[in-house]
Amino acid sequence: MERRYTAFRYIAYSLELLLLFILQTTPRLMPEIFGSKPLLLLPAALTISYVESEIPAMFFGMASGILLDLGYGDNIGFFTFALTISCFFISVIFRDNFVVSFLNATAFNSIFCAGLIFLYFLFFHVFAGKGSSLYYFFAHYFSRIIYTILTGILLYYLNKYLSRSLRDN
Amino acid sequence: MKDFFNSKSAKILIATLAVLIVISILGATGNPWVSSAFNFFSKGLSSVTSKLTEEHKSYEQLQAENEKLRSEAADLRTQLVDYYDLKSENARLWKYYKLKKTHPDYELMPSSVIRRDTSEDFYGFTIDAGSSVGISKLDPVLTENGVIGFISSVSSATAKVTTILSPDFQAGAIDKKSGDSGVVTGSAMLESENRSQFTKIDANSKVKKGDVIVSSGIGGVYPADLILGKVTSIKYDEYDATKYAEIKSYENIKTVTDVVVLTSFKSKGELPDKEAR
Repeated sequence: MERRYTAFRYIAYSLELLLLFILQTTPRLMPEIFGSKPLLLLPAALTISYVESEIPAMFFGMASGILLDLGYGDNIGFFTFALTISCFFISVIFRDNFVVSFLNATAFNSIFCAGLIFLYFLFFHVFAGKGSSLYYFFAHYFSRIIYTILTGILLYYLNKYLSRSLRDN
Repeated sequence: MKDFFNSKSAKILIATLAVLIVISILGATGNPWVSSAFNFFSKGLSSVTSKLTEEHKSYEQLQAENEKLRSEAADLRTQLVDYYDLKSENARLWKYYKLKKTHPDYELMPSSVIRRDTSEDFYGFTIDAGSSVGISKLDPVLTENGVIGFISSVSSATAKVTTILSPDFQAGAIDKKSGDSGVVTGSAMLESENRSQFTKIDANSKVKKGDVIVSSGIGGVYPADLILGKVTSIKYDEYDATKYAEIKSYENIKTVTDVVVLTSFKSKGELPDKEAR
């Protein structure tokens, strides 16, 4: 019975990631705030890792990263590696040290979403020599970070609900 | 720490990362198996998003489309053409008819925008046509209002477009009125206003507000006389005081939905000879 619930839960997460990918990449589906759209798959993968053990968390992080990378690029890269590693360790840290609560989840979401998007900005804008970095960061990336963190609140409740309702206890 | 690396979870993590590194390297070196797998995956994702793109249009777009369809219906009714089958394709191709007529050597491939990824800067997007229909890397991407970018990477079913707003875009350009030459490129400071820069122009150039900037044809990537934009202001670089002009594309790059890829033209790939240079 437990295995059946686990399978349902994983299917639900997979469908959630696919749906978020469609929302994120299809033009005109997701409203823009200050010219930015959120990276929905980022908080989705993070919130799954708060409520799952490290191996499933790692695989859902990897799946989200692959969708993010292949959504625009033609190879896996930054997000695949960053989310695979982050989700694994976040799951371990949460299991051993933290209670899954709104405050903890929001704090982790804020740190990791901001950190990963900022690293992406460093690698693909600053180091790529696109120029006017400070201006561009505040014109686009800052609102993207805030928007992504805000959507993380909804995704936290969604994944917490999925995790609790599709569990045999 | 030692305990951690001996745990089953850590071994799975390390094995997964090793597999991902191998896949990433094979993908980057163009391994046909990995590329095919990525293409297959990408095509699947594209088919989902392209269907949704077709069905979700804003009120303004629907209104504009409605007006266009009304006028076309009147013409087509008299010609006894199957209006409903041809309307969409006809509307799209008509815009490029004039271009094709003026330049018979142009091979044009119409396509639609299917994805605008959040993580892509400078309003880059993905189109629903790829190498299977003859599109290749660096092909110019146009609308009826001029050049809007180039193909930066291509798979069999899709292609990615880097727009004229990106600093990665570089095109030899000429002021149609004054004859001054330079390079059109994007800028992070201007992209949100749908503007680019006309740089590397002479300090004594006669470029003026309102002048139309077209491609020079030098370099063999863009044919000559494709419209790049209109000069909106003349400025001087705050660091080295070099003169440049801000130009605005005639097309709204942020919202464009239908484009055409110039897959072949007479001077494609030709570099200017030494004398010309």
